Amino acid sequence: MPATIPFKLITPTKVVFEGDADLVIAVTTEGEEGILAHHAPFLSALRPGVLRANIVENGAARRLELATSDGFMQALPDGVTVLVDDALAFEDVDVAATRAELSEATERHKSAADPMAAAREQAIIDFANAKLRLTGHH
Amino acid sequence: MPSVRDLRDRIRSLKNTQQITKAMKQVAAAKIRRAEMAQKQARPYADTLSDMLRDLMASAGSVDHPFMKAGRAGAPSGVILMTADKGLAGAFNSNVIRAGEIYRRDHADAVFYSVGVKARNAVRRFGQGDHPAWVLNAPSKITAAREVAHRVTDDFVSGKIGDITLISSKFVSMMSQRPETRRLVPVTAADMASKPAETGAPRGAVEFAPSAEAVLSRLLPKYLEFTIFSAMLETDAAFYAAQLLAMNNATDNAGKLIDELTIQMNNARQAAITKELLEIVGGAEALSGA
Repeated sequence: MPATIPFKLITPTKVVFEGDADLVIAVTTEGEEGILAHHAPFLSALRPGVLRANIVENGAARRLELATSDGFMQALPDGVTVLVDDALAFEDVDVAATRAELSEATERHKSAADPMAAAREQAIIDFANAKLRLTGHH
Repeated sequence: MPSVRDLRDRIRSLKNTQQITKAMKQVAAAKIRRAEMAQKQARPYADTLSDMLRDLMASAGSVDHPFMKAGRAGAPSGVILMTADKGLAGAFNSNVIRAGEIYRRDHADAVFYSVGVKARNAVRRFGQGDHPAWVLNAPSKITAAREVAHRVTDDFVSGKIGDITLISSKFVSMMSQRPETRRLVPVTAADMASKPAETGAPRGAVEFAPSAEAVLSRLLPKYLEFTIFSAMLETDAAFYAAQLLAMNNATDNAGKLIDELTIQMNNARQAAITKELLEIVGGAEALSGA
């Protein structure tokens, strides 16, 4: 069995997951990044995307897949921590609402006045796309 | 002297009031537990965020981010005034509003943003009828906090305001809540370094992707959003604590008044009985003497 690392996924309203994983893959601003045990310490910004992890619970492996908004991932010798605004599992995604969100954000993105506002709308678009990808509607 | 009937009516109405204040006290006690729970659930995020910031500041020092630079010279101050939506919590809201008035004395041209219905009404009284306003009790506080943060930072970056200050309530204890005025932007390295260290010593060399500066410039807006969010949670908890105290006092006062009036009523009733007896006795004596 491969070595595991403590993995924590935290949003402002709750700790979504806390346990052991042998692999955590998140979408950083530089592309997908996979973290295994004994990874060098690092801190990176995350883009909205689908976060995947191989969870090990009571010796049994399980796959965790969540649509996450933008945030941050830090790997330290004592574990991996992911900090995001929102993390949704397959069953929590409302496809119709997400589609509406996506088209509204796309409209606002077109008329965004400054780069900061545009970047915000882009983040909403990316998160909506991640949610749709997770549910297989993309 | 009021009649027995008057006193009885007053006691009855006081008892009704007491029942209402007692119910409100119980509701506040239940809600404060929920508010404290929400605060507790936000703590892991807060701790991790400040840990990350500390690691970043240690390696980046300062970055070329608009939030870390002084705003446009001569631009008015931006103030977020945050209160509860409702009253009946003693001086809770008016203390915060007074802090806003004091700030306004030094910064006459300050531009106000309000969170909470009471703050909105106060800002309207300040003469800013049409200002950006949010309610505290939004369906999703984090979404509301994000909107507030976006609005004020947009105004800051565009030069409409020169800095951002938050005036909200600090939950000191169940018995004490006091207004707090905090400068949010420009952010200084000292602000973030003063966050309590949870894990103690710096955690050694850390690699940043793409760079400490790039990650920090993404973390700063999040830090601001989260600061506003946690201020909203704190205001919520502080409000219910203040309301609990106010309603507890109101219930006690009603009880005292009821006791006093009951004694008065009993005295009045006794006096009436005595008077009647005297009249009867007096009448009987007059008859037998005749």
